[in-house]
Amino acid sequence: MSLLIQSIVLGLLLGGLYALLAAGLTLYFGVMRVVMIAHSAFLILAAYLAWFFSTETGLDPLLSLLVTVPLFFLIGVGMQRLLISRLRPATMTMMSVLLTFAIALTIEGLLGYVFTGTQRRVRLSYGGGDFEVFGANIAVVKLIAFGLAAVSLLVLYLVLTRTRFGQALRATIQHPEAARLVGINTDRIAGYGFGIGLATAAVGGTALSLDSTIYPSLHWHWIGPLMAIIVVGGLGSIPGAAIAAMVLGLGQSLLQIPLGTTWAQTFFYLALFATLMVRPQGFFGGRLAQRF
Amino acid sequence: MPSDSEVRRGSVLITTLKIVGVLVLAAAVLSFPSVAGNAFILSVGVVIMSYAVLATSWNFVGGFTGYMSLGHAAYSGLGAYGTGLIVIHTDINPWVALGLSGLLVAVLAVPVGIASLRVRGASFVIVSIAMVLILLLVFQSWGEVTGGSNGLRVPRPFGPEVLRPEQHERFFYLHAALLATALLVWWLIDRSRFGIGLKAVREDEDKAQALGVPTFNYKLVAFVVSAFFTALGGGLYALWFGFLDPIFQFSILVGSYMVLMSLLGGIRSLFGPLLGAVIVGYALEFFKAEYGDTQFHLVALGLLLAIVVLFMPDGIIPALTQLARRFAPQASSIREMTAADLAERRRDADADADGSSEENNGTEHHVTEGARS
Repeated sequence: MSLLIQSIVLGLLLGGLYALLAAGLTLYFGVMRVVMIAHSAFLILAAYLAWFFSTETGLDPLLSLLVTVPLFFLIGVGMQRLLISRLRPATMTMMSVLLTFAIALTIEGLLGYVFTGTQRRVRLSYGGGDFEVFGANIAVVKLIAFGLAAVSLLVLYLVLTRTRFGQALRATIQHPEAARLVGINTDRIAGYGFGIGLATAAVGGTALSLDSTIYPSLHWHWIGPLMAIIVVGGLGSIPGAAIAAMVLGLGQSLLQIPLGTTWAQTFFYLALFATLMVRPQGFFGGRLAQRF
Repeated sequence: MPSDSEVRRGSVLITTLKIVGVLVLAAAVLSFPSVAGNAFILSVGVVIMSYAVLATSWNFVGGFTGYMSLGHAAYSGLGAYGTGLIVIHTDINPWVALGLSGLLVAVLAVPVGIASLRVRGASFVIVSIAMVLILLLVFQSWGEVTGGSNGLRVPRPFGPEVLRPEQHERFFYLHAALLATALLVWWLIDRSRFGIGLKAVREDEDKAQALGVPTFNYKLVAFVVSAFFTALGGGLYALWFGFLDPIFQFSILVGSYMVLMSLLGGIRSLFGPLLGAVIVGYALEFFKAEYGDTQFHLVALGLLLAIVVLFMPDGIIPALTQLARRFAPQASSIREMTAADLAERRRDADADADGSSEENNGTEHHVTEGARS
């Protein structure tokens, strides 16, 4: 029984991180119709920066957020303005996949070149700390990671729904031409949307560095589940991505009990195939998802 | 405007040139083993030919329909493991095993194709990547059958009396034969009604469907043919190399090599993937020899792919033919046009009202024109 509760708690904590990262992926797709394969490579890059920062200065890796979030936002804006917007509109979806794939390879290669392939881990004073709730052990670092993800998702939600910028961003996602007609500078908004998406990778990467061992090729283990999540949730729908992330994260965690960690990972892919067979536009995707 | 007879003479000339070009190419490929100085260079030749087979097989989907699969390593890996496992566990002749494993993969590709081709673009790529990741997991964990991370040793099809250089030479010719078959099938599809339907899908799927092209079935057939040839390529490689490791067989990198090679050479051209395979394959071997096993080759591959996607998404061959077209009589060239090109040209034509830029047509032009209107 306690094993079950343990799995549920772990699944929810993991699902929170998945939800934040999937929201980022959804933003890119929303503003530019781009599937950003490099998202998880930037995630690992942020984790490496957090690790590097904390080993060099001895400070808490969470402080690296002050640098990485603005930095990643700027990189995101730059990427959209300088690279993605250069692609021809007719073949945008396919070519952007290849382009971001190329960026992912470059980041992985550079990480391996600079930091070598050695596995790295942040040493934390509170790294081993945990407490019990209903017989389930919760590591403090996992709770911090979840809290970070939850707060960022909440901020993202508030920005999107309560601010003028958020309104403009949602308008750009819903109908770029109509948004332009009412006077929204969709190019600039798309750039900012990209920047925010990449900023979620910075937050997620720092959260990841707290309790995981990191190595350059780790991003392949993240991109598969994340992509499965956004397809299951329906491409372009942020609430859909968040719900799918929680459900799939929970499912993976529960399946680990009977199947073990390796086989439990296939759950994401099976969910992906099942979704495409039953409901190709995803479970929360609307008109937008159908076309892609 | 050149006259009719001039055009006809031009096209006869072009056809003759093409035939001569193909013959020269075939002669160059067939004479390579005797020119190659030593066994190492010959083995590099086999690797490049293997890449060429894989890239050309990839191009059945990527080139005709525009659906770019990043996960074709799934089919080459399955073909390799299928061949290896059949050879190990049964007494079947290795070459029959190769064909059998190709057919098995083709059958398996049907449900995968049905699932992934229901959606356009982005989701298709996601599924293709997921396929590779899932197979990597399965083949690593299912140790008792696949050998897991320890790898799988595949017995050689030729007896011990055949020495290494001799092996390389035979496999070079075998790969060349497979490549020739794949190219021939591609060429036949390219000229068929089926191929025209596929290209209509590439240019504008909705309009193709509206015009009565059975888009889904066409895409599925192209996908299965592509998986079949990819599996044969993977199986032949397995028989040559004799050792399989899931990390290298089900690697996203292998899939991205196929994409890079095809894009670099030109996915709309018959020989584009072959040209790309020669360039990229040579570069890869060069990098391995010069810089060893560092991560640097990833950076090089990433940058090269980014440059190709950003600055020459049409590839080398179209760029060269365009260059050649400037010096050739106008109407004798056949150039396929993308929907984007056409839209741009129409805009230009509207701009200078006299519409004088509306010349030079080939068959493909009419097809895409038809699909648009």
